[in-house]
Amino acid sequence: MGNIWETIGRYYESAVFIYGTLLLITYALLAVFSMVAVRAYVRKDKFHQENTLLSSPLAPGITVLAPAFNEGLTIIFNVRSLLTLNYPKYEIIIINDGSTDNSLEQMINEFELVPVDFAYNAKIQTKPVRKIFKSTNPAYAKLMVIDKVNGKSKADATNAGINAASYPHFVCTDVDCILDKNTLLELIKPVMQEEKKRVIATGATLRIANSCEFDEGVMTRMRPPRQLLPRFQEVEYIRAFVLGKMGWTLLNCVPNVSGGLGLFDKEIAIRSGGYDHSSFGEDMELMTRMCRYAQDNKIDYAIRYIPKTLCWTEAPASVKIFNRQRTRWARGLAQLMYAHFGMFMNPRYGKMGLIIFPYNFFFELLAPVIEITGIIYYIVMTCLGLIDWTTASVLLLFVYTYSVMITTMAIVWDQLAFRYYKTWKEVAYLCLTPFMEFFLYHPLIVVFAIRGYYNFLTGRKSTWGNMQRRGFQTTQKAAATVTAK
Amino acid sequence: MEYSLYDFRGASLNIQIAIVFIIIAVSFTIIAYLSILRGRYKAYRREKKLAGLHPVIDNLLMEHILLNDELASDVPADQVVLPIDVFRLPVFEHRWARQALIDRLLDYRNNVRGAMGEQLRNLYIQLELDKDSLRKMKSRKWDKKVQALVELSSMNMSIADVTILPLTNSRNRELRAAARHAYIKLSKNEPFKFFDVVTEPLLMWDQVELFKIISTTEHIAIPNFAQWITYSTNKSIVSFCLKLVVHYNQISAVPAVLKLLDTKDHYLRADAINCLGKLKMESAEDKLLQMYDSQPLNCRLEILKAIGRINSGKHVDFLRQEFLHATDFDVRKNAAKSIIRNQWAAKGIVEELVETATAENKLILKHSMNPLIKF
Repeated sequence: MGNIWETIGRYYESAVFIYGTLLLITYALLAVFSMVAVRAYVRKDKFHQENTLLSSPLAPGITVLAPAFNEGLTIIFNVRSLLTLNYPKYEIIIINDGSTDNSLEQMINEFELVPVDFAYNAKIQTKPVRKIFKSTNPAYAKLMVIDKVNGKSKADATNAGINAASYPHFVCTDVDCILDKNTLLELIKPVMQEEKKRVIATGATLRIANSCEFDEGVMTRMRPPRQLLPRFQEVEYIRAFVLGKMGWTLLNCVPNVSGGLGLFDKEIAIRSGGYDHSSFGEDMELMTRMCRYAQDNKIDYAIRYIPKTLCWTEAPASVKIFNRQRTRWARGLAQLMYAHFGMFMNPRYGKMGLIIFPYNFFFELLAPVIEITGIIYYIVMTCLGLIDWTTASVLLLFVYTYSVMITTMAIVWDQLAFRYYKTWKEVAYLCLTPFMEFFLYHPLIVVFAIRGYYNFLTGRKSTWGNMQRRGFQTTQKAAATVTAK
Repeated sequence: MEYSLYDFRGASLNIQIAIVFIIIAVSFTIIAYLSILRGRYKAYRREKKLAGLHPVIDNLLMEHILLNDELASDVPADQVVLPIDVFRLPVFEHRWARQALIDRLLDYRNNVRGAMGEQLRNLYIQLELDKDSLRKMKSRKWDKKVQALVELSSMNMSIADVTILPLTNSRNRELRAAARHAYIKLSKNEPFKFFDVVTEPLLMWDQVELFKIISTTEHIAIPNFAQWITYSTNKSIVSFCLKLVVHYNQISAVPAVLKLLDTKDHYLRADAINCLGKLKMESAEDKLLQMYDSQPLNCRLEILKAIGRINSGKHVDFLRQEFLHATDFDVRKNAAKSIIRNQWAAKGIVEELVETATAENKLILKHSMNPLIKF
């Protein structure tokens, strides 16, 4: 009996070793690919002048979609922020997803909105649209507000916006996200500069807004978050976007365009069925379906990412809200894998089936499970006195130093390309964070992911929950001042 | 050390690999931090140097060129003697400072027109900064070449066609684009000659950039774009020429555009229909209507829009039929919009349709009539 356990243990150790090695090699490759992609982007970007597009009658039209549910605290400033975007041909559609606060009334009063007879064509099924508003003030001619019955998901609201969109591309963002004023110019560039493929989606780096300064909805000073939990998320975002997504973009294997900010090809999105309102990871789900549709219809497609930060979002600052967010993300991933498992290792789906899906399955979905089983194994072995502490310490040190190195590299690519932070102190602040991430932040992610999988397997009812945003303080103070005046 | 090495040799393979990776990871992490330090320090130094130099350049340019009354005469720019000695400062012996001066001159020239713009060009030549640009032109690095092309074309310096033309088909997208822009701006004889030799597609971005250069360059001889619409095998060139035909309202190119309606490529066909609509070619309406039933959706929509734009009032019945009987929502919507544009020719048609149409069609009509809704 003892021999059987010993054999199982040895196989388990070897399997975990091979798994770990493959994961580390993948990260190392991504680091190299992302360096190539970021350098290429920076070298080319200096020759592309935004103002060329800004004054051009040939600029393709873009619709900005921003679903809002009970965002009364910041809605006016956020809409004003969207109205200041630099682009010659765009419209903004705010989808009031059955808010129970006074968001809609605020917008009607502030932007002089009136209901219009809009020929709404529900190409994607959504909850009923109550009314559609346009402004009588020419200054807000770009703005349209859709008031609809609450669909209990961002997906349903966004789909309503897609149905009403006039232009061939749409940018999906959250109404509480702050966008860089050149966001549209930057996101459309990869679409316009692609030589042979059809770019079906473009994404850009998101950052944490918690300690940044904003004035009238415009980011004026970028800072790493002061609080530890949001700062961990900042580091995680840099690693995920600058290292991960940029690495994948070089291989045209981007697995997901973030729900916080992404530009999409409207035709492909509609033909793919739009966002799935039952999904907890609706952004990744849509991307997967768009890729699937493109492959099925022999469309030579590309998904591109740019390393520039174009969007700032408020990160959960408390463990409770963070738990809710990550549990939902993990559940979304499990849902996605289950729903599209037919693509797994299926050559018919090209890179999506042979690279992205296996990567997501083994290194995203299974990683927390393997980590948890590893910890349990470790505890059992410790209790049995079978741990060689020297070996264990060396292996732990190996994983620790490697993870610090990978995150540090992501920070380096980011810093060398853009130098977002003003002072040395802020950079040092950020650079020290990866040293703590392994012990303080990573275990949280693993536990919340396991919880998400548990919820998925048990079909436990789960609500979207409120992010309980604190709002961008400077903005609101400014708002109060302006209103008082 | 000897003891450690002994230990390492005696360790299992897993441990040996792990130790090697620890050393690599620690080294890389240290190198990474040093790179950040070095990068930030270099950038800080560069910014500091430029922060000191830019006001000097600005003062010199303001005082001796832009606000110099003696230069604001009617004498041709190339005959004016500029006070170039004041620009011969020791700092400009450094390449970075000369580059800063070139960049500043380009900035000013992009914002100044007429005689002053010419004086800036004159200064660029007299300070022999063009030699710096030409040296970059000979570089093997594509980004240096692009920089040189931007500088030379902004300063309107002539470059031999044989130097630029091969670059207009370069495999590097940025170099290719810069060479095309420079060629259009600088070629004295046939600025659009590269349209004949282009084998690579003109990307949407290239089209935007070329459009801006063509429409803003002074004294450029605009050719009849019909020649490329008729003969070019490069679809992107044909599509771009259609946009230029609209921009320059080139009625002489209409026969070529009409011929393009027979092309098998339905995207090009849609572009051609769009062009005819924007040119308001009433004579093309009958042909558009004849071909309507055999067209794919994108071309049908373009035909409906074209009839609305041409606004002759002759085909209201056709639009009415499409509005009432088409099953596709977009077809009905575009037909409605064109009916509204043509309603002057058939009084009462809108009222009649509003009264008799289905609820959805009524909504489409109201949508099309509402001035607050653009699309």
